Amino acid sequence: MKLVVCVKQVATIDEELELRDDGLDADFELELNEWDAFSLETALQLREGAAEGGEVVVVTVGDEDAEEALVECLARGADRAVRIAAPELAGGEVLGIAAALAAAVEREEPDLVLCGVQSSDAASAATGVALAGRLGLPRVAVVKRVERDPASGSLTVWRELEAGASEVLGVRTPALLTIQTGSCQPRYANLRAIKQAREKPLAVCGLDELGLAPSAVPRGSRLRGLRAPETGTAARMLEGDAAELAAAIREIIEERVAR
Amino acid sequence: MSSILVVAETRRGELREITKEVVGAALGLKEESRLPVAVALIASAPDRFLGAIPAGVDEVLRVESPAEHFEAHVHERALEQLIAKESPRLVLAGHTIDSFGFAPAVAARAGTGFASDVASIRWDDGPLVTRGAYGDKLVAELDFPEQSCVVLTLRPGAFAAAAAAGSVPVREVDLELAGAAATEHLRFEDAVDTGVDIGNASLLLSVGRGMDAEDELPRFEALAERLGGVLSVSRPLVDAGWVGSDRQVGQSGKTVRPRVYLALGISGAVQHLAGIREAETVVAVNLDPEAPIFGVADFGAVADLFDVADALEGTLG
Amino acid sequence: MGLLAATKTRPVFWGLGPWLEALWYVLALLSVAVFAYGVVRLVRKYGRGRGQSWPARRRRDLPREVAGAARELLSQARIKRRARAAGWAHQGIFFGFVVLFIGTVVLAFETDFTAPVFGWRYFHGDFYLAYKEALNVAGTVLVAGLLAMMIRRASSRSVRLDYARPDRAPQEPQFDRRIYRRGDWAFLTLLLLIALTGFVLEGVRIAMEQPGYGGTQFAGWLIAQPLVGVGEATLAGLRHGLWWFHGLLAISVVAAIPYTKAAHMLTSTASLARSDPDAGKHLQPVPADRAAEPPGYGSLLDFSPRHLLQLDACTRCGKCHEACPANATGLPLSPRDLVLELREQANHAAAGVSGVLGGLLGARDEAELSAPVIGSQKLRSDTVWSCMQCNACVEICPVGIEQAPIINQLRRRLVDDGELDAGLQSTLETIHKSGNSFGQSRRRRGRWTEGLDFEVTDARKKPVEILWFVGDYAAFDPRAQEASRSLARILRAAGVDFGIMYEGERNAGNDVRRVGEEGLFESLAEQNIAAIEGCEFDRILTSDPHSLNTLRHEYPELGGEWTVLHHTALLLELLDEGRLRVAEPLARRATYHDPCHLGRFQGEYESPRRILELLGCTVVEMPRNRDNSFCCGAGGGRIWFAEEGGAERPSESRIREAVGLPDVDLFVVSCPKDVVMYEAAIRSSGNEERIQLREMTELVESAVLASGVEEGAVC
Repeated sequence: MKLVVCVKQVATIDEELELRDDGLDADFELELNEWDAFSLETALQLREGAAEGGEVVVVTVGDEDAEEALVECLARGADRAVRIAAPELAGGEVLGIAAALAAAVEREEPDLVLCGVQSSDAASAATGVALAGRLGLPRVAVVKRVERDPASGSLTVWRELEAGASEVLGVRTPALLTIQTGSCQPRYANLRAIKQAREKPLAVCGLDELGLAPSAVPRGSRLRGLRAPETGTAARMLEGDAAELAAAIREIIEERVAR
Repeated sequence: MSSILVVAETRRGELREITKEVVGAALGLKEESRLPVAVALIASAPDRFLGAIPAGVDEVLRVESPAEHFEAHVHERALEQLIAKESPRLVLAGHTIDSFGFAPAVAARAGTGFASDVASIRWDDGPLVTRGAYGDKLVAELDFPEQSCVVLTLRPGAFAAAAAAGSVPVREVDLELAGAAATEHLRFEDAVDTGVDIGNASLLLSVGRGMDAEDELPRFEALAERLGGVLSVSRPLVDAGWVGSDRQVGQSGKTVRPRVYLALGISGAVQHLAGIREAETVVAVNLDPEAPIFGVADFGAVADLFDVADALEGTLG
Repeated sequence: MGLLAATKTRPVFWGLGPWLEALWYVLALLSVAVFAYGVVRLVRKYGRGRGQSWPARRRRDLPREVAGAARELLSQARIKRRARAAGWAHQGIFFGFVVLFIGTVVLAFETDFTAPVFGWRYFHGDFYLAYKEALNVAGTVLVAGLLAMMIRRASSRSVRLDYARPDRAPQEPQFDRRIYRRGDWAFLTLLLLIALTGFVLEGVRIAMEQPGYGGTQFAGWLIAQPLVGVGEATLAGLRHGLWWFHGLLAISVVAAIPYTKAAHMLTSTASLARSDPDAGKHLQPVPADRAAEPPGYGSLLDFSPRHLLQLDACTRCGKCHEACPANATGLPLSPRDLVLELREQANHAAAGVSGVLGGLLGARDEAELSAPVIGSQKLRSDTVWSCMQCNACVEICPVGIEQAPIINQLRRRLVDDGELDAGLQSTLETIHKSGNSFGQSRRRRGRWTEGLDFEVTDARKKPVEILWFVGDYAAFDPRAQEASRSLARILRAAGVDFGIMYEGERNAGNDVRRVGEEGLFESLAEQNIAAIEGCEFDRILTSDPHSLNTLRHEYPELGGEWTVLHHTALLLELLDEGRLRVAEPLARRATYHDPCHLGRFQGEYESPRRILELLGCTVVEMPRNRDNSFCCGAGGGRIWFAEEGGAERPSESRIREAVGLPDVDLFVVSCPKDVVMYEAAIRSSGNEERIQLREMTELVESAVLASGVEEGAVC
């Protein structure tokens, strides 16, 4: 069983995020996208559960910094990694990224492609399914559970609906799933494993090597600018120590709930 | 024959509320863009939904789906053909779990412009949209040069819903959809009914990621009850397996409408805020003064949630 | 002395005859052989351990080791700690046994060596009299010690003597270690029987011979009195019977030593000789040549020979069991039971496939030895995770067992296998990502200084006298930040030239290492060492005892050797030098909590108390103080766990202890984690009205700055 997991090195969303002067990007620290930890874990468990064994390949689009995300995945148990170096896609536009991923994934001929539902920074919830569209793969978005029939290799998946409900679907492979958080418990990548993971195969290739001409890279949108949200703090801020805050909160509750 | 094409969303025999919001957005653009608004109704036995289509829509494109329930690949195939046949200028759908499964694929296959989770649309000889960036810490403004068609998914709650239903002309569209379905619907599984009803509570005490100790949960549940309310949570606590999804507020949980929503340690991710937009009063306590929740809350306090919980317990004697 | 003195002796083999004498020799030699084989078997068992006993950089110091063990053997000071009566009883047994044993050897030396080889006999006359005297005293002391121990066992309700395992439920078969209790009684009874039969034998001989100088063999003489007049034949029969009984018991005990509780005579002594004074304070790095293998202890084969020896050294004295904060608060861990469980596994495995026969053939079940030591019917992982690495067990162990470091090695493997608490996992991921356990941006590390009305020097840009390593809690926790700001104001008021490294600092790694994430510790330490080496300074200051410990004890090995001091030491220095003056004595009754990492880890008990006295406080000690201080529950990474478990929080147990003190309303701490833990515990236990928490610095500030030394007035 061959699995490809598409991952993203994302910006750490914290209060230190600062807009750059050109208004087109921000400075931040990086981490592996939260959702991708779950899709990777799902892939590892499927590989471990497959009697015939298998291979988990992680793929990302990004600059050298993005290799940290790949190393983390290798440390958790992925077998090898591919980084698509494409400075022309630096803006992270969904359809362009999907096209680059498609070119790389196609070569791997996987049984299953897994993506996170979305990335925590851009939150487009689109790259995985755009990739499936490009590859013409059956796909299910927002999956919280996967079972694989060992004989046929076909999948039963639980597509998450709102409020704890789900739709159960049968899917034939090859296919693509986008995995929801909370679907499993991602394993720990300890530092020793991370060190050893640096020895695992990590290929870097450009778009030309993938046979994707610059003119063939689609662009779904153009970023005109970034700005801080206008709303800011709409709330009336309560002041005081914990006891004073509690008293104020009690007052609001009494006044507005009982009304 | 350019138009604004709205993709209707149905589930288990009902037209979903989000469709009205998307129609509302489309109607808002109608004047400036001078484009008619059409609704693509792709479903099995679509007639049953016709009565719910809002007034003001110029026509309904009736597409009979071979699949009994929503099926992402049927939608994808149908929209691809509709884009080719109808050449819409805009294709609008809700940014919902169903749309996640087809909208990006449609854009990728049809080579259209694309943006998801769109919070606002302006018209300036074409769509100009905003969406959140970096976890909604920033706002990104996007345009779509050289695209004759743009697919957008719209953030739930960001657009006013269209008014009541009215009579809308229907046009049957014949598409090649045989064999389009690529998944097999086996069944729906409903959430386990635990008797917890956060949807109708008048006071919700809601805890989020800031509440990082599982064994403290009973204490918050008790506090909620003593205040006369119900405990609810944000997604991370459900993901951690600490709480059942019946208590989850947000896009993937429940939409709640309490009189007072007391959010402790909830930073306010978009998905969560989508679930509380009908709350009358939102009181937020968070350590991060720049947490997005303060942008929607009526009252805010920068404090440690455990301290506030202690003090609230104190007020109850 | 003449004739009379020459007769002052006794026959060794009285009336035995050549065949029985020969039989005796055969039996005695057999017992020595069984003993020797047992010892060889033990030594070979320890040799199976592949782990490294000492770090490569430490050279062994045999004279020191032997001297240390000898000193403890003679004084038994460690055995007497927190157990005076039992300690003295043990000393009685020890001296009695040793003297009697030496006596036997001295006698055998003449009978079997000097007499047959050189024809030299010394077992008569004054020597014989002194010998008898010594052995009588020794025997009496032995009996008294044994009786005292028996009375203690029969009457004491001490938790130390309760062998029930906290890591098993009462209905589980392994819960009750009754077999150990039987073994203890058997051991005591056997020794008592040997001693008593020896005395009776002496009495019978005296009654028969009536040598007339029984006064010097008081015990034997006393026993002889009622026997005087009993028929010669009866006495002779009794004497024969007793001789064999006594003799066979004695040689059986000798043979049994390596196989029973008596083995502690050998193993505990050896363990003591090879004990590590830095155990727990300085955890061993992964040896460079083992970097490719899974770290820590997974199976018994991974253990170091020294740790395998320690498993056998345990005497079940129960001191660690009593001192352990996890055990005391209902967590499924007792250091004693952990050691015993591992020992049982080692012995079971070492016994080999076919039990005794396998043992005799030296066969061992490789599969069993290499099996994981952790499992549902073995050592349980939640036991290993319950430990707070507070070192209370290591510190009190009279025989030098390193429970906490062994647990640390077990954790290293669990971390490598990914078997860790969810909260701990996410904290470790956070530390790896952001360099702090709070998940805050690196750039916010210096943010706490914004509440000051002066700027704290960036030590990376300007040389300073004191480089302040702030640590995570003191930098990020809102309550602990107050204490940090207080310390900054005091240092400024005293004119100390100090600076911090702002975002250049990382989590020090002390607790990361104690959790068992050795790789992350190394990475943090390397980053900190590089950052510190980039600064110019004289000394390093920290208010965090955890950071202090690792900077002081563990960084040197990685190339970071500096003078590191705790803020209580610096504050005392400033007070002593008069750079800080107490304006308004506080006149309060305070109790002081010794942080594990300052007290037990650094041996620093007095400076904080002296400061309190200088401030005018009366220090009232809690029952558990100084080396017996009770962990707040945060140690060993437990502060990061999602699931706490246990019946009572250690911090609440401690607060209960403090509020039990008469008229004490001030709880003084000197560790940022303690500030956080005890503020919470005072609140959750509803003691806000009864006791107030203050960080040492805050007290100093209120006493010193009352003098009108306003912020920034000096310097």
